[in-house]
Amino acid sequence: MDPKVNGQLQLEWGWLIAVYLFLGGVGGGAYTIAAINSFLGESLALSTTVGLWIGFPALLIGTLFLMVDLGSPSRAFLAAMKPGTSWIARGTLIISIFMVLSFVHLILHQFTKFGGTADGETIIDIIAVAGIVFAIGTMAYTGILLSASKGIPFWRSGVVPVVFVISATVTGHFAIMLGVALYGDIVATMEPLRTMAVEAAGLVVLEVLAILFFLQAAYRQPDSRESAERILRKTMFVIGYFILGLAAPLILMIIVYRSTANALTMVAIGAVLGLIGGLILRQAVLVCGALPTLNIAGFEFRRIHRPKEPKAGVGMLPPQ
Amino acid sequence: MPRYGMVIDLKRCFGCYACSMACKTVNHTPPGVFWARVLMGEVGTFPNAVRQALPMLCMQCEEPSCLEVCPTGATQKRDDGIVIVDKDKCMGCKYCIMACPYGARYSVDKWESYFPDGLPLSPLEEFQKKAWEEKSGVGVATKCDFCIDRLAEGKLPSCVEACPAKARIFGDLDDPDSEVSVLIKKERGQVLNPEFGNKPKVYYLFPR
Amino acid sequence: MAVASKTDVKSKPQVKEDIWIPTSCGQCYCMCGVKVRRQDGIITELEGNPDAPTGRGHICAKGLASPQLMYDPYRVNYPLKRTNPEKGLHVDPKWERISWEEALETIVKKLKECQERDPRGAYFQATTTQASEIRFGVIGFMKGFGTPNYWVSGGGLHCGNGAHFMNGIMHVSWSIIPDFAHCNYALNFGCSKGHGAGHVAVQNATQVADARARGFKNVVFDPFQSAQASKAHEWVPIRVGTDGALALGLVNSLLNEHGIYDAEYLMYKTNSPYLIRPSDGRYMRDKETNNPLVWDLVDNCPKVHNDPSVTRVEYEDEAHEAALTGKYTVEGVECTPAFELLKEHVKKYTPEYVEKITWVPAATISRIAKEFGEAAEIGSTVTIQTSKGPKKVPRRPVATHFFRGAQGHTNSGWTCLSIDMVNHMVGAADTYGSALGLGGSVGQGYEPTGKPYQIPYPCPDGLLVAKTWVYDHKPYPMRKPGPPTRLDLHDMFPTSIYNAFTITSPRWFEMLERFKIPYKPDVMLNFGSNSVMTMGNSEAVTENFLKKFNFIFSFQLYITEFEEAVADIVLPDACFLERYTPAVSFPSTFSHPQGEDDWGWTIRQPVIKPLYERRDFNEVMLDICERLGIHGKFYKGLNDSIGVRYGGEMSDKYKLVEDGSVKHTWEDITDRLLKDRFGDEHGLEHVRKTGVFTWPKKKEDVYWKWFNPSRVPVYFEYFIDSGEQIDKLWNEYGGKDFFDFDWTRFKALADWYPCPTHTEENPEFDMHTFYWRAVMHCNSMTQQNPWLDECSQEDPNVYAVQMHVATAKEKGIADGDKIWMENPQGHRVRGWVSLSEGIEPHHLAIAAVAGHWGKYMPIAKGKGTFFNDLVEMDLEHTDPLTFNQDICARVKIYKVED
Repeated sequence: MDPKVNGQLQLEWGWLIAVYLFLGGVGGGAYTIAAINSFLGESLALSTTVGLWIGFPALLIGTLFLMVDLGSPSRAFLAAMKPGTSWIARGTLIISIFMVLSFVHLILHQFTKFGGTADGETIIDIIAVAGIVFAIGTMAYTGILLSASKGIPFWRSGVVPVVFVISATVTGHFAIMLGVALYGDIVATMEPLRTMAVEAAGLVVLEVLAILFFLQAAYRQPDSRESAERILRKTMFVIGYFILGLAAPLILMIIVYRSTANALTMVAIGAVLGLIGGLILRQAVLVCGALPTLNIAGFEFRRIHRPKEPKAGVGMLPPQ
Repeated sequence: MPRYGMVIDLKRCFGCYACSMACKTVNHTPPGVFWARVLMGEVGTFPNAVRQALPMLCMQCEEPSCLEVCPTGATQKRDDGIVIVDKDKCMGCKYCIMACPYGARYSVDKWESYFPDGLPLSPLEEFQKKAWEEKSGVGVATKCDFCIDRLAEGKLPSCVEACPAKARIFGDLDDPDSEVSVLIKKERGQVLNPEFGNKPKVYYLFPR
Repeated sequence: MAVASKTDVKSKPQVKEDIWIPTSCGQCYCMCGVKVRRQDGIITELEGNPDAPTGRGHICAKGLASPQLMYDPYRVNYPLKRTNPEKGLHVDPKWERISWEEALETIVKKLKECQERDPRGAYFQATTTQASEIRFGVIGFMKGFGTPNYWVSGGGLHCGNGAHFMNGIMHVSWSIIPDFAHCNYALNFGCSKGHGAGHVAVQNATQVADARARGFKNVVFDPFQSAQASKAHEWVPIRVGTDGALALGLVNSLLNEHGIYDAEYLMYKTNSPYLIRPSDGRYMRDKETNNPLVWDLVDNCPKVHNDPSVTRVEYEDEAHEAALTGKYTVEGVECTPAFELLKEHVKKYTPEYVEKITWVPAATISRIAKEFGEAAEIGSTVTIQTSKGPKKVPRRPVATHFFRGAQGHTNSGWTCLSIDMVNHMVGAADTYGSALGLGGSVGQGYEPTGKPYQIPYPCPDGLLVAKTWVYDHKPYPMRKPGPPTRLDLHDMFPTSIYNAFTITSPRWFEMLERFKIPYKPDVMLNFGSNSVMTMGNSEAVTENFLKKFNFIFSFQLYITEFEEAVADIVLPDACFLERYTPAVSFPSTFSHPQGEDDWGWTIRQPVIKPLYERRDFNEVMLDICERLGIHGKFYKGLNDSIGVRYGGEMSDKYKLVEDGSVKHTWEDITDRLLKDRFGDEHGLEHVRKTGVFTWPKKKEDVYWKWFNPSRVPVYFEYFIDSGEQIDKLWNEYGGKDFFDFDWTRFKALADWYPCPTHTEENPEFDMHTFYWRAVMHCNSMTQQNPWLDECSQEDPNVYAVQMHVATAKEKGIADGDKIWMENPQGHRVRGWVSLSEGIEPHHLAIAAVAGHWGKYMPIAKGKGTFFNDLVEMDLEHTDPLTFNQDICARVKIYKVED
């Protein structure tokens, strides 16, 4: 029996929700970039295609993870009953609309000649603009969901949505780069990739600044200090996210940008690391979420939680 | 319509866990679930250190943050102010658990046995599992409901009835002459962490 | 209470049967009145029984958790026999299920063989948890079979060898407690009464909470922030085992520093005025009547103590004053009143001297003595409504109380008396607001029948004698030490209830020979006890004691460490929910509510038929006795015992038939006892509806001191005789060769004696350990209950070793670290550390009895620390006065490497 487990931590949301938030971010980020690129000319056409192919499927899979986490998935159809007050309800609506838009966009883009006509082009553009709005909404939602949780002071910061939006953009960006690197024509893609690497590096720097601001703000608040301390003591967070998920891709992207040679492998490695980092960030923020300490009459009260004993081979039944 | 509330007199409470246990047996809560929980705190340094128990339960907030975040409408506030979960509407997203700063909500995916070795459930456990599944449900959010079934029968919440120190007093906050109202007024009852802004209807009287 | 709207009560489980059956809880020896819910044949819930004065509708966590006891899959449900002949700790018994017939045949055969050899070889060991059952099945068998050998395993350790004996002398009760309803200021010497433990824990908890709410002040002396210390208005940390010194310091401070004492009380209600002759410390006696003398200050001459001119039975009686101080010449001998001797004697316990022993600052001692003395409001009175009209009695709203914490040491007897002495100095005993005997020990009975009648009376020397008592021999007058017949030589020791030092000695058999005991331990009958863990060091208990029996059979709920180690046959006992018990809250000396609430006679009735092949202990004992052909004697034994324990002989109409021609069921015995006590119309049929028979308690039975003609000793003259007798007898047998006890502790005036904990000189052993009673587990064996286990895990300290933050820092130990604690004898136990500011830095607090290792109790296994393994059962760790064991130990600590 480990006597030291902290019962202040929330134990309900773990990897499944982290993946859901992550894929929501990746999908939203990838779609946003794809849609913006679709306005920026032919040279970026491949990234548009890749981005559209990432956006909708990521959302779909992410939603499946959410469904698996639900205690009663059969009642998931009730998820948007109260958009007036509940961010899950609002998020469900945002994501649903976004999924419809991104799906339609993908179909029109890939499987029809719709884009060839002027009217068609306009309709796609309208879809793209609306899609961007809801994609950004989705990215923001993954952070607002947490920042609206009154029970977890660590999450209850306006910086969380900012961090999540930046990280979603970064991961979306990396996802597209990975797709382009894997499926694109080697000669034709290296140049756009160099541009994207610069953008990625810039975004990563932005993310570093945002996360540092977030952590120091959390540390300053007595109620969220414990969470901040915990997250900084997590090897997974410090090595997996900070070093491998942020620093390494940053360095790799700078190298890719400056190298003249073919650097697809390096792009792929950097992108994968960046993506994994994004997932770790969300998982760490979730599992380090702790309840506020309760106070009355000068006393502080904390919850103790001890894991259950091993279940098998512990006891022996008397002969029956 | 009454507006139900509770007073917990910390002068009386010495941390015997009878409330936790009464709740367990009456509401059939599975392992790890404590609708009525007792926390232990300590303040000061030797020889002036003092310990105090803090009996917890759902605070039945006037402005429940769990109600606000519930996407499905499963969490509801009754006319008598008791916050309940309609298990048939809850999809088990657990967002309400994150929203409650008092940590009063629990969700379990299945009603598990307390005993090791993967034994078949005992007759008591079978009964409890069935009762829990029928009343509270698995895969949904659950919480203290001031024992509404007992209230309907004219009984007090089980934690109030069991308490050997009579530290829990239950009643109508709207009735100025009820014991709860009188105590809150006379002994300046405080809610826990008022800065959360939920306006709890469980009041505490200071230990000394 | 307004009714909630119907629509919100949804999907209630569909049950056909849903009933509540009143009975008595059996999760611990408090035995509160409860109502048990049965739904579709399954016990699902318990509630307190509002009709029963024990608890009045409230109930603790242990009781509430009892449905799990009923259905625990690890319960023993069938008779088992050991097939591995090897016995000992950690031996696999290789259990085999057998039929009841085979089990009983084997048992009866073994008992018959024992009967032929010598019936006294049969040894009954029983648990105090089932205290009400003990008084029937155990006693009936012992009387029927003809063996005097019996003990509650761990009597002298968890049980109150010191406390029961001393409170019996001073209050005709098992224990003492403040009159919470009216007490204003109490000194609590490390005891959990009113805070979860004690003999009527739930009622006491309600009372003390009510008292706190009205501003009652409680000073708690305890080495750590126990439940009671945390609720105290002042916590005074004290070094473990020094409570007696502190109490004597308070007595000294009251008498000699502040000059506060209740002369009236001491004069008429104690032996303070008895004249003591200097030559041998004995009473100066009247030549004619042989009665002790006092000095009449009005007539200026000696008078016998019960001369009407110097006696006040009731407070409003008038009498001459008797001398408490000074010197008086009687028949040429210059005598001194006992009080004067006491006053002089305690002078050495100056606050400064006591500070050195107890670590309580001298100024604190002096201040608390003054506060206590002033709060006593000596001279104040109150008029109470007695059955004979309004009467004036002294009002003394102060009290000291204690139990196992203060008592569990090698200075046990004198510590108990010293703590209570503080009460008697200010007249705060068994009167309004003062220290009362716990349990209603005094009562005129239910009016129509006059039973249970339990009014104590004075002996010829004027001292208090109990009318009813839990045991055959009363605490006073003391037995004369006689040649031993029992396997623990009990007959030689008039002041102890039990002792462990004989039976667990490696030289036990040698002693039996030397003391001319013509038989050996033969068959052990065990009822519910796990003595491997409840007596002291488990290896010593198993090897020196338990393995000496030829055959052991055990009634048990689980296969405990005891059965694993030594039992040959395990019988599946029914639990308290599956049986009848004729009397539960009586004998009232033991676990009965205190104060002015009604008398209540609770019974136990089955809520459910025993499951599987479980059978009720009492029923099986009758079965065994019938097979042995001794059931007539069994019934006679019960008839005899009821007279002593339950307040009056059985009338011929309801007496159990003693010739063996009738087989009484327990239902029948319950019915007879009820009808005999409360009349024909109040038999079982009547009482089973509520589970309790109540009748009003008279105020003069609660505050009986000034209605009873007896006195209590402050000078224990008769101890001197007793000590000399024991010393002589002991030396005649050469007892010194085994245990060189200091029999001079049998003396007239109190002193404090250090424990080995206080004299340990090896600086390596720098920590004092002791155990405390966690509310979920006290007075019982509840560690296998999964609900109680879960609650225990919620508490930061129940399964932990509490250590002060600074101590831990000094030793490089962190919160949660696992440590070994090793005593100077080399016995060690392990546990994990919980850091706290709420403990004296030289102490480690451990909740007992935990640390099970038996594989048949998997919930209990491995939780908490097995403190008792540190308890030694030898000369140094035994109080010569009461044979109470020492339950504090010095240890060195080091981290567990694993």
